[in-house]
Order: sequence, then structure tokens, then C-alpha cells
Amino acid sequence: MNDSIVSFENVTKIFGDQRAVDEVSFEVKKGRIFGLLGPNGAGKTTSIRMLTHILVPDSGSIQLFGQPVGSETQKLLGYLPEERGLYKKMKVGEQLIYLSRLHGLSKPAAIESIRYWLARFEAESWIHKEVGELSKGMQQKIQFVATLAHNPPCLIFDEPFSGLDPINSETLKEIILELRDKGKTIFFATHRMEQVEQLCDDIALFNNGKLVLSGDLSQIRSSYGKNTVTLRFTGDNSFLDNLKHVRINNRSVHYAEIRLLEGSDDQAILREAQKHCRIQAFELTEPGLQEIFIDAVSK
Amino acid sequence: MIHKEKLLLIVQREFWVRFKSKIFIVTTVLAPIIMIALVILPALIHTLSGDTTRQFPIYDETGVVGEKMVQGDSSSYRLSESDPTRLRTQLQNGEIHGFIVIPHELLDGLGSSAFYHDGSAGMSVSSRIRSDIRQHVQQIRLERLEISEEMKAVMNEEISVDNFIISDDGAEAADSGYSALVGFIMGFIIYGAMFGYGAIIMRSVMEEKTTRVVEIIASSVRPFELLMGKVIGVAMLGLTQFIIWAVAGALLLFAAGPVLTILAGGGAEPAAAGAETAVTMPVIGPVVWVGFVLFFLLGFLIYSSLFAAVGSAIEQESDSQQLQMPIIMLIIVPLLFLMTVSDNPASTLSVSLSMIPFFAPILMPVRMSVISVPFWQLGGTILLMVLTFVVLMWLSSRIYRIGILMYGKKASFAELYRWVRQD
Repeated sequence: MNDSIVSFENVTKIFGDQRAVDEVSFEVKKGRIFGLLGPNGAGKTTSIRMLTHILVPDSGSIQLFGQPVGSETQKLLGYLPEERGLYKKMKVGEQLIYLSRLHGLSKPAAIESIRYWLARFEAESWIHKEVGELSKGMQQKIQFVATLAHNPPCLIFDEPFSGLDPINSETLKEIILELRDKGKTIFFATHRMEQVEQLCDDIALFNNGKLVLSGDLSQIRSSYGKNTVTLRFTGDNSFLDNLKHVRINNRSVHYAEIRLLEGSDDQAILREAQKHCRIQAFELTEPGLQEIFIDAVSK
Repeated sequence: MIHKEKLLLIVQREFWVRFKSKIFIVTTVLAPIIMIALVILPALIHTLSGDTTRQFPIYDETGVVGEKMVQGDSSSYRLSESDPTRLRTQLQNGEIHGFIVIPHELLDGLGSSAFYHDGSAGMSVSSRIRSDIRQHVQQIRLERLEISEEMKAVMNEEISVDNFIISDDGAEAADSGYSALVGFIMGFIIYGAMFGYGAIIMRSVMEEKTTRVVEIIASSVRPFELLMGKVIGVAMLGLTQFIIWAVAGALLLFAAGPVLTILAGGGAEPAAAGAETAVTMPVIGPVVWVGFVLFFLLGFLIYSSLFAAVGSAIEQESDSQQLQMPIIMLIIVPLLFLMTVSDNPASTLSVSLSMIPFFAPILMPVRMSVISVPFWQLGGTILLMVLTFVVLMWLSSRIYRIGILMYGKKASFAELYRWVRQD
């Protein structure tokens, strides 16, 4: 075997007449952050559920640390589902111990680990509270602890930032990077591509159950070349509508990412912009993930 | 293969979370109180609303029968000077509730007496009046015939029939006549338990689904293990509740003897009164107890696997009606046969009904408490029930594993069938 932690080989899952995951193959290497990206309903969650052995593929095989996925590989995973949920009537401490022990931890080890992670999320004081008494944000933190407490080598986060305030998002990002540096492999699934751009080492782009693109993110981006202009400016932005042979992404009042299509010239855009507004920044860069996705799907 | 440690963890959680809940404590305390109230209240109401306050005037043409009746029970009867026409007016005016007319030819064995009332006298009142009149008329006529005392004794003789049950091993036990009652009570308790604990399982599956916690659990254990753990945990909860009730009941009876004695005997004859209450308590053999617990458990397992499947297919309790319907029918049907089976516990109908795995939890304990059920029937039924449970558990877990991940729509029977077939 090579050093791949997770490998999907021609994996297919069909629900009724819908091919939720269609002949998907990819590999995830140790110590990398892997982004599973695509719009809602593209097959991300189904892929994750097969990896966690909640669902079984109709055909193809999935391996984790060189073993076929099954009951035994479940303890190697920490899973944060997209739809969060905990037992509302159970106390935080009891609940975390229960979940960790289900993942194979002994009780003392579970207690020690839970104390550590609750402290990391500044949540030690809730240990004797019932989960139902906590706010949504607090419950999110407990859910992260539940995902991490059994110290699994591979972590799966499905839309981890949804519903998190900026401060907690930062905390979570720090923790994810720290876990990566400790050699853990991290899976990310999200439809908000801009969120994971800074985090992912590798990506797999899903659309309609099919894998449309996968690989090292920086390589993918550089393969597209510097074909995008990012522009920051003050003043009237209506000139953007009149630009020809471009596609504009992430447009806001004083900012735009302009993808150069055939027949357009970055210098011409610069000159045009100067006529209408004051330019604060102008840069020729590689395309963003959103642009790469649109491009890959349209092929 | 089932992972034993995980299963044990689940069983423990399912048990303790419920054991410590307020609902468990409340139902454990309230259920027997309600049960006792249901038994005692009708009796209490009966005595309180009894016709002791009703006194009926008797228009007596014979001149003797009425007198004897008043002598026998002066609180219920009094002689009336008024003739039937006036009594009728009094009745219409609401001054009296009823009156009795005894014609003189009654003592010659002719005619018939009459009881007129405003419609408020029930069956028990009229039958008591009838038996009182008959008794006195009979006595007076016997006396007129001047027959010997011995003859009278023969005429008034009551023959008692003592009931004994002889079991296969030759042991003899007095049948106090309460055994059918015991069977009824057991049948009803199991009936209530099937619904009560079934609903617990259903709600618990549904809650895990709607709170989405099931996805986390399913990422560490197999759905089948979760389902089994839940069923076993709740079964143990049920047993615990029964044990608590049994112990409390035994203590209560123990304490109730002397208390009843003091209340009933007024301190004058405590020993005699105590003996009396003890005699009326039916003796329930260990076999019946074991049968009761065993059939409760097996019935619970069968029904809880069905309720779990329903719970996994719904997202709110109001959606459960349609899917629950067949299960509810299965639980209710044996109740319709409760009388038939306890009246004729060895008939072919009773034997076959009580051996159907879905009906056995209620009907078999009823039969067991009335007669000693042949071993092959017990063994056969238990075997059938175990097989039924295994098949249902397999079906349910196939519905369950898909159902717990399905959100947004209410499943139909057709859908459940598809889930069972899906790989």
C-alpha cells in the first residue's frame, strides 16, 4: 500500500433511480486537509456516510488505513455530521463519556480527553448541565468535543462552520490546522467554497454524484494560470457590467474577481477601471475555487 | 457479529436515562394507585350510592309476608297503610321511589307480587326484593304445611361445591375462584405494558432521529446494535418497574392484613377477621408468576421491535397513527377473547388463540392462571414467539437502518417494504 489513508475505488451508491454517488475514485494522503466540495445534493454527505459505514456502497470499495471500511474502522474516525444533534436530556459530561466509549475509549481515558477538549473550547463549566439547557453555539462546541474526544487519526467535518460565530470559527480553524500538524487526516465537506480555500491541501469537486475534479489544490490552481484579476476600488462599479469576454465572481460594492476569458486583456480592464473609479488594488492571480468549480462543471 | 461491549453501553444508557427520569418515578408511583383506585372506587361508589337510604313501602294483603320482610330488613322495607292507588300518587309526586304490592293469593301459590318504582331501582334492588319475598313466602307456606323441622332443613339446604385443581404432578390446590380474576389482571397489565413500553421505544427511536444524534451513534455502532440495546434496556426497565410494584404490593398486603383487621373487626375479633382476608387472597403459584414474566418479556420483545420500526419511519408522533394501526389491532384482539379463554381455557379455540405469538402475551397468562397448561403448549408457544421475534427484529432493523436517515417525509407501508428489500 502507499501512504493513502482513505481510498475510494469506483464507489457507487444508488437511491431509487438517483445515482447519489456515481463511480467515484479518489485518495486522501496522511496529514492532509481534504476538501469535499460541491453544491447541495452533489453526493458529499452520501460519500461521508459510506466512509463512516453508516451506508454501504452498492459497488466499488472504500478503504481506510488499508482496511476495508466496516465496524472495525469506525473507531478510527471522528465524525461531525452536517445536521448536529445530541441527546438533549443527558448531561454534557455523561453524554461525551458515552459517545467516546462507544468509539472504544476506556472510561478514564474518555474523562481525561473530554476534560482537555472542553477546556480547549472554554466549556468546562457546562460539564454537569443538560445539553438541552445550552445555547445553539454551546451545543456546537460540545459536538466538536464529541467528534474529537476519542482522538481518532482521521476526522470528518461536514459543514463545520455553519452556525458558528466568527470567534468560534477562528478557534475551530486553529484547532483543525493544529490537528493537521499533529499528523491527522482531515476531511472537509462544504458547499461554501471560499471558506475552505485557505484550509484545504487537496480537493475533490462533486457535482450530481460525479467527481468532476480532484487533486492538490495549489497545483490545480496553478494549472489554470494567472487568468483572474482581483480588483479593489472606490466609486461607481457599473462599468463592470460593460466589460466584454469576462466572468465576474465574488462581486461586491468595492471588490470584484474578474475571470479573463478568451479575447480579453487585463491591461484593457485596468485602463477601463481607471476611467470610472479610484483603484486601490489590482492583481493578476490564479482563479478562486468557485471559478474552478464553475469551469470544471461546464466542461 | 454483535459487539458486546458497545451493546452493554447502549443497554446501560437506555436503562439509566429512563430510570432516573421523572416520568419513570411518577408512573411507578401512580400506576398502582390508579389501578387500586379503579378496583376500589366502583366498590366504594356502589356502597355509598347503595339503596340503604331507600325504603320501600309494602302494601301487603297477606298480613304476614310484609311483616316478616320488615322484621328482616327494616331499613329497606316498611309496611304501608295506604292502598296502591295512593302509593302510586305518592310515587308520581316523588315522595317515594317505589312500592311493593303483595296480593293475598300469593300464599296459595297463585298470582304474583309487584314492585313499582320510578326507574331508579337497578337490577340488584329488584333481585333482592324478589329473593326476599320468595324466601318469606316459601317459609310461611312450609310452616302452614306443618312439615317436620328436618324436612324444612332439607328444603333450605345449601349445597356447597369446593373447587380443587389437581396438577400433572398430583399436587392439589384449592381453587378459590379468584384465579380467573388473577388471569384477567395479568392480561390487562401485560396489555398496558405492551402499549406503554412500546410507546417508549417508538418515541425514543423517533427522538434520536429528529435530534439527529442517531447519525453520530450510527458512525460508531451498527443500527442493529443500537436497536437491540434499546429494546433490552427498556425491557429491563419494565422488569424493574414490575419488581418495584411486586415488592411494594407484597409489603402493602403484609401491612394491609392487620390494618384491615382493625378496620373490619373493630378490635373485637382481630384474629378471625385477619383469617378471613387471608382466605380471600388467591394463591398464585410460582409457575404462573414465571409464566407472567416470561410472556411479558417475549411479548414486549415482539411488540417493541414493531414499535421501533414505526418510530424510525416518522418524525413526529402525530404521524404514527397509520403505521401504528396494525400493531394496535394485534394488541387489542386478544382482549376480545379474554372472557372466552378464561371461561373455557382448554377448548381448541382457546388453545390455538393463546399459541399465536401476537396474542400469547395476554392470553397465555390468563390460561395459566386458570388451569395448568400442558407443557407442549407452553414450550411450543415460547418457541414460536422467539422465532417471531427473530424474524420481526430482522425486518424491523432493516426498516430502522434506512428510516433513521430519512428526513422530510412520512413513510408509507409501500416504502417500508422497499426499505426492507433495499441492500
